[in-house]
Amino acid sequence: MDKERKIKILITKVGLDGHDRGAKVVSSLFKEAGMEVIYLGMYQTPEAIIKAAVDEDVDVIGVSYLSGEHLIFTPKIVEEMKKNNLDDVLLIAGGTFPVEDIPVMKEMGIDEVFGAGSLTEPIIQYIHEHVREKR
Amino acid sequence: MKSEKTINGMILKILSGDRRMAARLITLVEDEAEENHEAMKQIYPYTGKAAIIGITGSAGSGKSCLIDHLIRKFRQQGKTVGVVVVDPSSPFSGGAFLGDRIRLQSHSSDDGVYIRSMASRGYLGGLARATHDVIRIIEAMGRDIVIVETLGAGQDEIDVIHIAQTCVLVTTPGMGDEIQALKAGLMEIADIIVLNKADLDGANTCIKNLQASLSVTSFKEGEWVPQVILTVAVASKPEDIQGIDELVAGILKHQEYLHTSSAIERVRFERVEQELGLIFKDELQKIIFKGLKGTGKKKKYIKSILEGKGDPYSVVEEILSSCLITGGEKRNGKTG
Amino acid sequence: MNHDTNKKIKNAIEVNWDDYLKAYYEKPQSAKSWSGYDLKEIYTPKDRPEENYEKNVADAGTYPFTRGIHKNMFRGRYWTKREVIGIGSPADTHERVRYLVEHGGSGLNTIADVTYEMGLDADHPWAANEVGLTGVNITSIRDMETLTKDIPLDKVSWSVITASTAASVSMAQYVSVAENNGFDLTKLRGSIQNDPIHFRYCGFRPACPLDLSIKLGSDVMEFCTRRLPQWYYTTVNMYDLREQGITAPQEVAFGFGIAMCYIDELIRRGLDIDEFAPRFTFYVSCHIDIFEEVAKIRAARRMWARLMKEKYGAKDPRSMQFRFAVHTAGCSLVPQQPLNNIVRVAYEGLAAVLGGVQSLHCCSYDEPMCLPTEKAHLQALRTQQILAYETGVTNVADPLGGSYYVEELTDKIEEDSLKIMKQVEELGGMEEAIRTEWLDRQFEAEAVDRQKELDSCEKLVVGVNIFTSEQEKTTPLGVQRVPKQSAVQQVEEVKKLKRTRNMDKLKDAIKRLRDDAEERKNVIPAMVEATKSFGTTGELLGTVRQVFGYSYDPMEIIESPF
Repeated sequence: MDKERKIKILITKVGLDGHDRGAKVVSSLFKEAGMEVIYLGMYQTPEAIIKAAVDEDVDVIGVSYLSGEHLIFTPKIVEEMKKNNLDDVLLIAGGTFPVEDIPVMKEMGIDEVFGAGSLTEPIIQYIHEHVREKR
Repeated sequence: MKSEKTINGMILKILSGDRRMAARLITLVEDEAEENHEAMKQIYPYTGKAAIIGITGSAGSGKSCLIDHLIRKFRQQGKTVGVVVVDPSSPFSGGAFLGDRIRLQSHSSDDGVYIRSMASRGYLGGLARATHDVIRIIEAMGRDIVIVETLGAGQDEIDVIHIAQTCVLVTTPGMGDEIQALKAGLMEIADIIVLNKADLDGANTCIKNLQASLSVTSFKEGEWVPQVILTVAVASKPEDIQGIDELVAGILKHQEYLHTSSAIERVRFERVEQELGLIFKDELQKIIFKGLKGTGKKKKYIKSILEGKGDPYSVVEEILSSCLITGGEKRNGKTG
Repeated sequence: MNHDTNKKIKNAIEVNWDDYLKAYYEKPQSAKSWSGYDLKEIYTPKDRPEENYEKNVADAGTYPFTRGIHKNMFRGRYWTKREVIGIGSPADTHERVRYLVEHGGSGLNTIADVTYEMGLDADHPWAANEVGLTGVNITSIRDMETLTKDIPLDKVSWSVITASTAASVSMAQYVSVAENNGFDLTKLRGSIQNDPIHFRYCGFRPACPLDLSIKLGSDVMEFCTRRLPQWYYTTVNMYDLREQGITAPQEVAFGFGIAMCYIDELIRRGLDIDEFAPRFTFYVSCHIDIFEEVAKIRAARRMWARLMKEKYGAKDPRSMQFRFAVHTAGCSLVPQQPLNNIVRVAYEGLAAVLGGVQSLHCCSYDEPMCLPTEKAHLQALRTQQILAYETGVTNVADPLGGSYYVEELTDKIEEDSLKIMKQVEELGGMEEAIRTEWLDRQFEAEAVDRQKELDSCEKLVVGVNIFTSEQEKTTPLGVQRVPKQSAVQQVEEVKKLKRTRNMDKLKDAIKRLRDDAEERKNVIPAMVEATKSFGTTGELLGTVRQVFGYSYDPMEIIESPF
């Protein structure tokens, strides 16, 4: 039976940061775009995020950073992903960061960054184009 | 398409505790992929041992919070737990917001707990069919207890509850949903009825309604009488949480009843009976439609019905007889 | 025709002249205000036939204070130019405070980081990663001493931005340092944000359970009313609510709803409205629609005056005056073409001044990206100074008063805001609206709508959905990094303090705090004592949390050492 595979995306915040407006908005819009969103909310550790990503077999992990913690937690998240062989899972980030940090985050292992002021369509398009086929 | 050998490898990994592999297989089941038949065949012998608890109730009744507590208690008893949380997919976009996991994240560092969110999607084979398989896979992971949570809103989800051995219905005072549950037939399936948020106004009226509806039903000698348990699953202070131990005790008591009264045999029988029926229906539909696909016959049939040249019953009879005859003759070596 | 003219033109522009014509004749696609009000092309006296000036508008300084709380507004005193500061260690923040004061800042303003607001000591396992990233963590009296070193607390006006239940500890820490240095508490001027109820919508729910929020928030308010008569003990934060994406009338309605939770508690404790209301203040947003924001502020002033007089029976005019600070809207700024943000902030600052603000923070242009560098911070201050000294908008009180448009919009916003407040009342009041998560759902729905408006170009933002350009590669005025060493050092110092302090003295002080909390007394005096005995933020807050049935540690990792 021909069926378009559903894209599963995990949306999470990490550490103490409590700005969740963006994370909730993208969750709602991803749902409207036909994706299945697993929303973890606040106060997650890198370990907890990756555990959820493994158990839910997600295609994409989306992290929301709005308190300057992006360079601190990204290496930890990427390390956990490597430990758990999640190389075929897309890692994207949103939030607030200086533009200089974007190449640094990508160097660390983030696939693409969508900061504050991003429109929804480019994000969805990016995910569709880059989500990996795990066959 | 994965070869049998790779599937075998996958199953072995799952049986030895590889969570990622199990998660992957569940995705294959959700995607209704072709490989999942072979995988389910191979995994089946290793399933059927877990205690399956179904938790159903309307949105906002507090199911996830109760499950959070239950997981904790079961873990304290040394049991491993698997959880399947079913959430509705949007009928418009096909997407879903799976937000129950957020309430269960306190178990994120516990390897003895496996949690999987499932969207109700629009499964071609029906939600219950997919959920049966998902639960089988979690059993094969070695979980002692599997908890299934659904809304219990549609027929699809009521079918899911039939998979459970112990069925818990969660209601809250003042929402009138004990009446809704009655209408949906859920009251008849429930082994335990939980009145959550029992500290709210209207709790007493709710208890009276529940007890009244139970007293109307007649129970045979030795049959399980549904228990009503009061809980307060969410409170700003830990000391205000109530009824969890009673709920755990109720569940264990029902499980004990199943095993000592041999009602478990009937439950197991019905589970397989349902599985068989669902798989059969699904596969049969696939075969028929596969045969019709691309031939333009389906359109022709519908057109002829619309033109008054036939009716759906005759059409189905015709299709079935041609399929079955073809199949039977082939087996007998005939070509006709 | 001189052939040489062709040689002089170096780079001939490739212009689509049809597009140019379109641009020339272009008109606005929308005739709505930011919050969605349909607007006429012009407003005339016919729109205001029954204007009752004395009753509804009145002069500035006269009930219902629509035009301003002081008779002469900025002719009497400029608003306080108070840029928010919070970075790295207390010493780092102290340096930036001095820098801005030296360059003309007229008010001091320091903000807590996420660890402090959560009530965690710098050495808490969850704090280690994030200390000092977006504000300052004050774990002990030593940190507060460093922050305030050599600053004459009886001369300055200091705004302490701690919003959560940790504000109780902040107040205790500030008072402890003031007393230790011999300052007269009755001379201290400034404010503490102290609005734990709203803070649950900025994260921080573990630190701000509703009952504890009301209890500790009110303790600070009561303590200051009695002991620090010049101190503003709360700045009820409507700004953060607006940052969720809600409209102007919602901002006022929800802010007032939260304010009433505290007022009702203080009255329940036996205080007279006129005893405390004169020191009750608000934190308001100024978003990009200039006229709407001015109208919103005027509406809020009128509504507050009537609320205080009619519902609470206030008699002192100062109780009826809506005193407020403005933080220009962070959510209106975008990282694309970042220097544009300086312009946005200028317009928003203008709205604040036209609205009659008492204290103003202008965002630095890099707000949607990082903490401000000195240059960026200074630019924001200069924005205020240009407003104050060059534009002339300070010459006359409520200059937009009497505008048919603005008076009409003021009425509309008041009307809608009152409708929303009534809706909340019918739900059972603000506490009920919070408990049932009705408020969460309002925020979530509005936030999605705002994004859809951007996606569909119903709302336009330069650089985002019109006049876009390639992403910049660098941040124009540099990036402020928090020195890693600051956090490391602060953690070390906290650990050392905990090893070397007199535990017996502290234990006694903690016991007194616990007893006071158990007897439901005002806990601030005991917190002061415990702070002077080197009790830390986590320890003080944790002790009170336990008495109220919550975990000692909001992150549920650490147990109480007492």
